[in-house]
Amino acid sequence: MKAQHVSLWLMGTVLFLCSVHARGFRRCLISMDMRHIEESFQDIKRAIQAKDTFQNVTILSTSETLHKIKPLDVCCVTKILLAFYVDKVFKDHQELDPQILRKISSIANSFLYMQKVLQQCQEQRLCPCRQEATNTTRIIHDNYHQLEVRSAAVKSLGELDVFLAWVDKNYQGIPAA
Amino acid sequence: MLLRLLVLQAALLSLRLGSGAQGTELPSPPSVWFEAEFFHHILHWVPIQNQSESTYYEVELLRYGMEPWKSISSCSQTLVLSCDLTMVTLDLYHNNGYRAKVRAVDGRKHSNWTITRTRFSMDEVNLTVGSVKLEAHSGLILGQIQPPRPKMAPEGDTYESIFPHFREYEIAIRKVPGHNKLTKKVKHENFSFPTPGEVGEFCVQVKPSVSARTNKGIWSKEACIVVSRQYFTVTNLSIFFTFVLLLCGVLALLSLQLYVRRRGTLPAVLVFEKPGSFNLIGQLPSPETQDTIHPIDEEAFSKVSLELRNSELHGSTDSGFGSSKPSLQTEEPQFLLPAPHPVAKRTLGKGASLELENSCSGGSSNSTDSGICLQEPNLSLSMVRSWEQQVRSNSQGQDDSGIGLVQNSEGQPGDVQEGSASGQVSPLGPEVTKEEDPAVVAFQGYLKQTRGTEEKAAKEGCLEEESSTDGFDPPVRMCLDAEEAWPPPVMAKGYLKQDPPEVTLVPSQAPTGQWNHPTEEWSLLGLTSCGDLGTSNWSFAHGLAPLDCVGAPGSLLGSVDSDLVTMPLIATLHSNE
Repeated sequence: MKAQHVSLWLMGTVLFLCSVHARGFRRCLISMDMRHIEESFQDIKRAIQAKDTFQNVTILSTSETLHKIKPLDVCCVTKILLAFYVDKVFKDHQELDPQILRKISSIANSFLYMQKVLQQCQEQRLCPCRQEATNTTRIIHDNYHQLEVRSAAVKSLGELDVFLAWVDKNYQGIPAA
Repeated sequence: MLLRLLVLQAALLSLRLGSGAQGTELPSPPSVWFEAEFFHHILHWVPIQNQSESTYYEVELLRYGMEPWKSISSCSQTLVLSCDLTMVTLDLYHNNGYRAKVRAVDGRKHSNWTITRTRFSMDEVNLTVGSVKLEAHSGLILGQIQPPRPKMAPEGDTYESIFPHFREYEIAIRKVPGHNKLTKKVKHENFSFPTPGEVGEFCVQVKPSVSARTNKGIWSKEACIVVSRQYFTVTNLSIFFTFVLLLCGVLALLSLQLYVRRRGTLPAVLVFEKPGSFNLIGQLPSPETQDTIHPIDEEAFSKVSLELRNSELHGSTDSGFGSSKPSLQTEEPQFLLPAPHPVAKRTLGKGASLELENSCSGGSSNSTDSGICLQEPNLSLSMVRSWEQQVRSNSQGQDDSGIGLVQNSEGQPGDVQEGSASGQVSPLGPEVTKEEDPAVVAFQGYLKQTRGTEEKAAKEGCLEEESSTDGFDPPVRMCLDAEEAWPPPVMAKGYLKQDPPEVTLVPSQAPTGQWNHPTEEWSLLGLTSCGDLGTSNWSFAHGLAPLDCVGAPGSLLGSVDSDLVTMPLIATLHSNE
């Protein structure tokens, strides 16, 4: 009798833990046409990156920051960086060329859509933010603030391909249209 | 102190200016850019305007986000406008990119740096294809695309590993003389292109791409293949063999059918023929007849027939034999005769017809009832039979109609059946008549008798045939007609006259009576025997029944033999008695 109770209890615990872990393993998926964004960026890449004069400084990829992020933190970091671009970079950058401005606007709209998807994930508690994720994003913010605003904004825009490649890599398996 | 500092500063400034002036003397290269393919990264730059022979260019490379700039000394050669930076940019596909800068140097002068406009990253790599292999297989061109395999690539960095998903290839195919290209997009390294029935040279070009990336693709070199007409393809061979099998099957069926039919057509009489003769129907053993029947010598018979013709018998008309010759002669030889003597077999039908024509055309014949003009008396009877049998399409034939007048030297029943008589009959007829032997002639008369029984049997057979559904109606009718035409008295005559009373053969009625009697008996016997056999065998081959019937009364025939022989052959032949 006791043995049976113990075994049942153990099984229950195991199942509970599994469910918890499984919850954590559930990923927040973004079904997004990343290719569209990448194409838009390629059109303005030359113009924007040419304006970036501080070549030895990077905002997003300090010591391969993004590459070191763990899968569990991917959702949180994505959410934070999307907010960073939409709230800071696109606002701080002042573009005069209408064609470039149009492309930047389309990229910004796509980012807004991605933010909505991640918002739903957060409501389902699929997007927890751990300390590591928060630390990584703080570094990025610090890099941004070390530079002059305009230069920082231009540089951040120029590094959009880094950000998009990282998102693409983490959300692979979702077929691009 | 201050003055010294000022002087020093002035000196330094002048030096700087001087150096600066020197540095600014040289213009910087207008533009610098990367041209890259998979693990083949080349930095290009435009030369400065006032380039001298001693001008060379310095290249420095920076990994984006990481200081310092690294100088690439291997690029610093005179008058070289490009530099291969693959070995120093191996990590391109895993990091955020590189920046490169170039400046012109001439002696102590150097220009400002010109930096690449964009960060050199994986997105700027143009995709290429290593090679394309083509194979032609029965109406299909199979192609295999080989991704690029550069030597400088580190282990583990293959095209497939760096671009794991969404690889696509655009294929352009053209037939050699023309320039129209047919394009097709495939998502795998293997592709096939159908060329139904086309022959010639086809050239293929491939452009790779990755659908999830913005990398540009470069068209590969043309790979060509010659497609020749293949006759020995698997499909063709299989079709050929199927047809061969079908043909064999059809032939087998036909031969089987023929075999089945022929079996019936061979009359019992013919069965007794010499073993060497080919008989489709198969020979029914009729040992009695074989035993009893004596070989007939055609020559002797022909002689007799001639005599007979000249006799009073000649006047017979009813049978329409043309009354020119006694039928006996002609008939006998053909019949059975197991002995190897060549028995003239008259082919059914045709021969008869010819003879008829001959006799009829001659006008001398007095063909009457049957309307058959037979030169030989036998012909008429046999003719009728032959007609019937002909109508039946070979079913039986020969035997009784045996009429065969045909005088084939081989005397094969088969020949008789076929009725190739036409040619054979007429020429042979006269010969036969010439060569008659008295014995033969006598025998002929005997044969006649058998024929009569056969007739009966055939008659029965005919009746039985009625039951069969093969459209035997005409023959049945014929049978019936034959029955009518073949009243026992005719048999008695043995040949010629169909009218029993006339019996031209023998002036006296006695022989006919004798003739009749035995025939009647015989026929009765034959009938009974036939009756037993008929039903069971009829389905198989009509000829069989009569054959059997014929065979049955062989003994009877034997008994009657002497009488019969003596009878018809009339006075001249009546030697047996």
